[in-house]
Amino acid sequence: MPIKTAKESGLALCPKCHKLNALNDGADINARIQCIRCHGLFYSRKPHSLQYTLAWNLAALLAFIPANLYPIMILYSMGIGEPNTILSGIGEFVDHGLYPIAIIIFTASIIVPLLKIVGLFLLVYRVHTGVRLRPDKHSKFYHALEFLGPWSMLDVFVVALLVAVVELGFVTSVAAGPAINYFTLTVIFTMFAASSFDPRLLWDKKQGSENTKEENDD
Amino acid sequence: MDDLNKTIKDKSLIACQLCDTVYDSPTLKQGQSAKCTRCGSTLAERKVDSIDRSFYWSLAGIMLSVPAILLPIMGVTLVGQYHHASLLDCILALIERGFFMIATLVFLFTLAVPVVRLLGAFYITYCFKYNRLKPSLLHFFRAYHHLDNWAMLNVFMLGIVVSMYKLLDDTELSVNMGLFAFILWLICSTLASSSLDQDYIWQKLENEFAD
Repeated sequence: MPIKTAKESGLALCPKCHKLNALNDGADINARIQCIRCHGLFYSRKPHSLQYTLAWNLAALLAFIPANLYPIMILYSMGIGEPNTILSGIGEFVDHGLYPIAIIIFTASIIVPLLKIVGLFLLVYRVHTGVRLRPDKHSKFYHALEFLGPWSMLDVFVVALLVAVVELGFVTSVAAGPAINYFTLTVIFTMFAASSFDPRLLWDKKQGSENTKEENDD
Repeated sequence: MDDLNKTIKDKSLIACQLCDTVYDSPTLKQGQSAKCTRCGSTLAERKVDSIDRSFYWSLAGIMLSVPAILLPIMGVTLVGQYHHASLLDCILALIERGFFMIATLVFLFTLAVPVVRLLGAFYITYCFKYNRLKPSLLHFFRAYHHLDNWAMLNVFMLGIVVSMYKLLDDTELSVNMGLFAFILWLICSTLASSSLDQDYIWQKLENEFAD
């Protein structure tokens, strides 16, 4: 059975209720559609998907720099403050020999955001140029990126908990540092970037290039 | 074009959400799911006993949310001083220190969104269970989907574990009832949303209110 996409058949899938809508004759495929089932407004493909992804991605990358330079947490003991950046916090765990926790934090707060930013740049580039595009692999990769997104909030929640719990006046207390703002922004921006990317573009591009190839072969 | 519209209604075609391939709608028994042959993602799923399960899990979740939010999760003792904090205390502490943006986001992701999602799932399954379907449910359920990505209770749970390890070294750590309630709340809210059968609900709403 030849694979036919909804877009080619003059149909459009509602992203909210997953109902296939038939487009009216002569209707612009890029126009806004109202779903017959849930009455929500949607597009056949997310409009300007690549541009939006790129923009959110750039913003995330910019916010990631101060997030790593400023201290994320300041530990006061006996009135003396000791600032901790994300990396030095991880180093502390390594010093204490708590490798599993160090790996979890390192993955959640350094690897995942970077992987998301780099990965989305790569996906946007591949979709735009169509070079070495492997939709089956790439759409799985995109799915993984989308799933990993929220886990980067780990560090923010840890700091929030420590600030609230470790409040013993002069003896010990924990304050949040300015980096926490930037880090949260990074996470939110990468989540927006991932959700504005439309994975169906991967398949569209592949299908398009295959069709032209067949025409050339004939 | 009317033909196409008719086919969609009669045979009810479906399309893959990730790669847009069109299929004839499969007839699934409870517990079965259909996968897309092109990209391998799940096309459609018929969940076992969806309405009942989701109803009771969300009911349990709503009841557990109060102790999970208000009871202290953990406490520390150092040099004879003791201090503990609950989920709500975390947010209040952040507000006190002037981190308004973080406080708002933590409030949204770990408190507001999970509670609203539980209430939403409860309301929808309540209407289905007792046959009180109304057209407003269409809009309600569509709005419910907006919150899909933004509940982060599981991440917060990992955050609790990590901060325990952080504190274990140089303080005396005590675990309170709040942690217990929070874990149960996490389980209930995860199961409530994962047992909710969206395809079934949309199909039924469509049959009821199709124009």
